[in-house]
Amino acid sequence: MKELPVFLLDGAEVPYRPGQSVLQAALAAGHYIPHLCYHPDFQPHGSCRVCTAKVNGHTVASCTTMADSAVEVESDTEELDDLRRTLVQMLFAEGNHFCPSCEKSGNCGLQALGYDLGVMTAGFRHLFPDRPVDASHPDFLLDFNRCILCELCVRASREVDGKNVFSLAGRGITKHLIVNSQSGRLVDSEIALSDKAAEVCPVGVILRKRIGFVTPIGQRRFDRSPISKQALEDAPRTGAGCDD
Amino acid sequence: MTEPAIRKLRVATTSLAGCFGCHMSFLDIDERLFDLLDKIEFDRSPLTDIKTCGPCDIGIVEGGICNAENVHVLREFRANCKILIAIGACAVTGGLPAQRNHLDLGQCLQEVYVTEPSVTDGMIPNDPELPLPLDKVHPLHEVVSIDYFIPGCPPSADAIWKFLTDLIEGRTPKLGYGLIQYD
Amino acid sequence: MNDSLETAQNAKSLRRVAIEPLSRVEGHGKITLLLDEDDRVRQARLHIVEFRGFEKFIQGRPYWEVPVMVQRLCGICPVSHHLAASKALDQVVGAVQLTPTAEKLRRLMHYGQILQSHALHFFYLSSPDLLFGFGSEAARRNIVGVAAAYPDIARKGVLLRKYGQEVIRHTAGKRIHGTSSIPGGVNKSLSVDERAELLNDIYRMVAWSRDAVHLVRRFFEQDLETYRGFAAFKARTLSLVRADGAMDLYHGGLRATDADGNATFDHLNYDRYWEQITEEVKAWSYMKFPYLKALGPEDGWYRVGPLTRVTRCDFIPTPLADRERRDLLAFDNGSVTVSTLGFHWARMIEMLHAAESIKDLLHDDDIVGKDLVVKGERRARGVGALEAPRGTLIHHYRVNDDDQVVRATLIVATTHNNQAMNHAIREVARRYLNGRALTEGLLNHLEVAVRAFDPCLSCATHALGRMPFSVELLDASGETVAQMVRD
Repeated sequence: MKELPVFLLDGAEVPYRPGQSVLQAALAAGHYIPHLCYHPDFQPHGSCRVCTAKVNGHTVASCTTMADSAVEVESDTEELDDLRRTLVQMLFAEGNHFCPSCEKSGNCGLQALGYDLGVMTAGFRHLFPDRPVDASHPDFLLDFNRCILCELCVRASREVDGKNVFSLAGRGITKHLIVNSQSGRLVDSEIALSDKAAEVCPVGVILRKRIGFVTPIGQRRFDRSPISKQALEDAPRTGAGCDD
Repeated sequence: MTEPAIRKLRVATTSLAGCFGCHMSFLDIDERLFDLLDKIEFDRSPLTDIKTCGPCDIGIVEGGICNAENVHVLREFRANCKILIAIGACAVTGGLPAQRNHLDLGQCLQEVYVTEPSVTDGMIPNDPELPLPLDKVHPLHEVVSIDYFIPGCPPSADAIWKFLTDLIEGRTPKLGYGLIQYD
Repeated sequence: MNDSLETAQNAKSLRRVAIEPLSRVEGHGKITLLLDEDDRVRQARLHIVEFRGFEKFIQGRPYWEVPVMVQRLCGICPVSHHLAASKALDQVVGAVQLTPTAEKLRRLMHYGQILQSHALHFFYLSSPDLLFGFGSEAARRNIVGVAAAYPDIARKGVLLRKYGQEVIRHTAGKRIHGTSSIPGGVNKSLSVDERAELLNDIYRMVAWSRDAVHLVRRFFEQDLETYRGFAAFKARTLSLVRADGAMDLYHGGLRATDADGNATFDHLNYDRYWEQITEEVKAWSYMKFPYLKALGPEDGWYRVGPLTRVTRCDFIPTPLADRERRDLLAFDNGSVTVSTLGFHWARMIEMLHAAESIKDLLHDDDIVGKDLVVKGERRARGVGALEAPRGTLIHHYRVNDDDQVVRATLIVATTHNNQAMNHAIREVARRYLNGRALTEGLLNHLEVAVRAFDPCLSCATHALGRMPFSVELLDASGETVAQMVRD
């Protein structure tokens, strides 16, 4: 069996298969780099910047940087974790993320990341924007207050469902999620309960109606273990010489 | 030879625009309260009859800022407490009361106290004894500088206990997985 | 009637004294007094100084969020709101009858909170006044002082509260602001281990609750003159009672009585509570003043809470508590029933009833059942009411076809008691303060009166709400031509 090439991550050797990103290879090898908009089933996006690492001294998104034996990667440093905490704070400050009454609490990627990184402060003045709730569809609730612009729903709808239910519109601070229907409302879109886009939202935007608080506290996803542990468990493996 | 008396740390607490849940969670330390009372004594607090905050080592403030009186009390705490802790979602990010921030306050008051049909001779309460509400609800750090934050709605008793014992014993307070909560 | 103390003539020429903030109560309030040059009290008011706007910002939210959000109004009695909202939404989801397990788990949660809330109020907040004296040294008048002078009482108080909180944790998911009660039932069952853990201590809790009742009785016996006459007045009352007239803190029909205990109405379905109850606004408090519509604001105010519930039910369906109830009624020719301090005695009887009820539920095998949720025909509105630790609590929601809340109305216990509390402080001002130089200890007497009601001033400040109402169009002969209901 041919041995895989390696790169250095925080001093440790990480095997990779050509074509994998630094993030993919790291996760597969059991090294957690925090991330939010990356999902193993879709093309990486590089928008949330939480997976920022130093590659040969340059700050890059590790999800869009190809693994290469020539690089030395730094990720597990206090400086980078401070940066990641700031990003999480900014995401919280931009929208209306009221964890206490959100049904996604305990199953939320943004929240779990905050816990894991140890985000304890608000950091920024919260904007308290006036964002809509689209309850038009009989089966889904869209709560735009909580959108973090990760675009997983956009990618899922396009790449897996073959639809195109969601898009991001606007630029800069006005960038926001929209529904691609004539009226702009979800009820007039093609979304279906079986869609990948319906289940991929890491936060509490795209919700199936009338589920609500169905899981008791203590049994929710991130009550059982932190997101760093689960990300490693869920990462597809880089097998030496095998097709995964 | 008499041993020098160990001075107890003086602790003040208050709930501003809070629901009192953080204070209740603090009391959820249950019998550990008696151990804690070996090391601390209370100054102004909802649990005592001291109505103004004197010089204190630690101030613990629950709740955000929703009216002018909250601002006065918070400033009193900042001026008198060496270390000021914001405890709970309301103090850290605004919490439940801040859910009104995207609404227009004047319109709300008008709707409730004047145009409401089942109220006879409605008026918006306006006695000078009532503190003026602020246009928006604010977390504490937007008004005074805060030294520590304990998020949670409320933070668990174990989280509060860990935080306070770290602080009292001179360590940098740190909460790990299982103790940090935002809900 | 001492309403002459509500608004003084020539207020500008009078001297103002304020008690601010009220201590050893939950939430924010203050008392202001206006005194003339002879030190006579001319005006006494209890002001509620804050509001939240819950009924406004809940609009547009999906209805299943409500029980989890609304309980954040209060950190002592979140379970009251969690359950009252759930009961209202049970109607919305068409859950006409919950499963036996779900109903019993909710009841267990409710009794757990009655136990912890009453223990908190009595031991942590009020006992310093009762043990040391209303005018005793301020520095000692707190739980720390009680722990130093009466360590056994303090310890039992802490452990009683702890037990109630553990019941809540096991049923609601966490001690404060849990999530287990949902429209149509509950999301969490009680495990066999959890039940065993709770059974371990329940007999001790029953015994200690009974000891607490006797402790209050001894306060009355040792200082009868003070206790029987403290802010003593007869009042109309409101409470929920079971169909057979028994005390039932989780569910019942509305019973209103006049000041002598005769029923004004009885076993009324709380579904259309707004036909009986309305609210008045005064300029000097954010909390409104509910009253019985038929009687008007002057005569229609009423008292809710433990003293009402214990004295106005026909009986308490747990034996030890019922015996204590009869003793309370028989004591000193019934003077306890009109003294504001009687609240403390009644409250401890309710704590005993809660402990006994918890014991009964833990022995019922339904409590570890797995059948938790039911659903039926969807409706557009729901009303849920129960007896919270502090009194009758009503939640009312209207939900649109998209599952969003379009309207919410809450009437909370402490609001019902607004006029009664004002009445009590005026009684105390007249009896204790008139003509005397005001000391801190004397001012504390006013707070003792307010504290006896165990006000939850956070709950009272929920409001930016709207009362439902109906409009009738009558023709010239008085016949109803049309009717519109907005609720």
